[in-house]
Amino acid sequence: MLLALACSRRLLFVGGKGGVGKTSISAALAVARARAGGRVLLVSTDPAHNLGHVWDRSLSDEPARVLTSGEGFVDAVEIDPTSTIDRHFATVAATMTRLLPDRLHASALQHLDQARTAPGSHEAAVLERIAELIESSRDTHDLVIFDTAPSGHTLRLLALPEQLTGWTETLLASRDRSDRFAAAARSVVGSKDAEPTADAELRRTLISRRDRFAQMRGSITDPDATSFIVVSIAERLPVAESIDVVRQLAGLGIDPAAIVVNRRSPADAGALLAQRREQEEQHLATLRSAVGDIPISQIPLLPGDLAGSEALSVLADHLVATSTA
Amino acid sequence: MTAGTRAQRREDRSRRWAAFRDGLHEFYVGPYRQTLLREQRDEDDLFMIVVLGEALGVPDPAAYYSAGLLPAVWADFHSWHKRIGIPASPLDHIACC
Repeated sequence: MLLALACSRRLLFVGGKGGVGKTSISAALAVARARAGGRVLLVSTDPAHNLGHVWDRSLSDEPARVLTSGEGFVDAVEIDPTSTIDRHFATVAATMTRLLPDRLHASALQHLDQARTAPGSHEAAVLERIAELIESSRDTHDLVIFDTAPSGHTLRLLALPEQLTGWTETLLASRDRSDRFAAAARSVVGSKDAEPTADAELRRTLISRRDRFAQMRGSITDPDATSFIVVSIAERLPVAESIDVVRQLAGLGIDPAAIVVNRRSPADAGALLAQRREQEEQHLATLRSAVGDIPISQIPLLPGDLAGSEALSVLADHLVATSTA
Repeated sequence: MTAGTRAQRREDRSRRWAAFRDGLHEFYVGPYRQTLLREQRDEDDLFMIVVLGEALGVPDPAAYYSAGLLPAVWADFHSWHKRIGIPASPLDHIACC
């Protein structure tokens, strides 16, 4: 079921409460897809990265090959918002110094420094990088898996494209009105001043921004292209949060296609674990009754640390073999 | 009466007519132009506030993107704060006065 999902989508977002094993599940899913011949880009958007820990190597903002399997492979990226912010503001600074007279450069650059540290810049940069990776991987990868931050963070991030599309539309409309008034005033007295270049350039910036946000919104809300996988464990709080995430995804128009319940206690390994398993069944029943017909896959509790491609391969076997309930 | 002075007089008259016509034109369309320009100025003022929001103390969730629009408003910043009744630059780091 999960492998079929990975083979039929272009983007997968893996989310859920902190500490339920999102990163391991994302990585194992990437392995399973690569073994089936897929070219996978695995991206961590969580500022507290642990994709590198799971693969047992250091990763960066640029894709690095972490696994090759015949035709298939996995490239991994840990998004670094700081480098995106730096690139973005370097571009803006270049534009400003080109468009403004010399005497204004110093204060303009100082003003930019303030914007750099404004709340929300971090999030905007993560989104920007996600959009970039989606675009740049279009021809080089079959599937992009996003291992995301804990729920609240991720849902806010996924709501951003829509908000920002609205924001750029509003500003563009304002520029349009201003231009129309100017043109009307000009037509009344014959032509006066030509359109300033700065404005035309900014309009181009705004339009390309808007198109990018709109395109991103379009692709993440297309259920044939993008699905969200909710990872949980069979305990009270993670289950409550998973139910919440499923509801909010519906509000955002994003398809919650699968739920993975990780680390199920075994029934045959002593009384303590058997008792835990009983308890888990209740939470699982709560989850089932709340999420309608979204398939729930269960992964058993596995021994050892989940690190390195060997361990991920074992987890990938479980993901492929798991029956949905 | 030579042909030269007649031509001169004709030219004189047409120049005066032209001036009169322009005056009339201005008399009728001037107010409209003022209105249109005022509307444009209001629209640009709004844009200015949106772009400078973060610096003026209005939290701007899109500050990251607004920053890229600064060049559009920078040149008008001085006349804007004068017009809205702030005599000295409201932003410490923009020393335009």
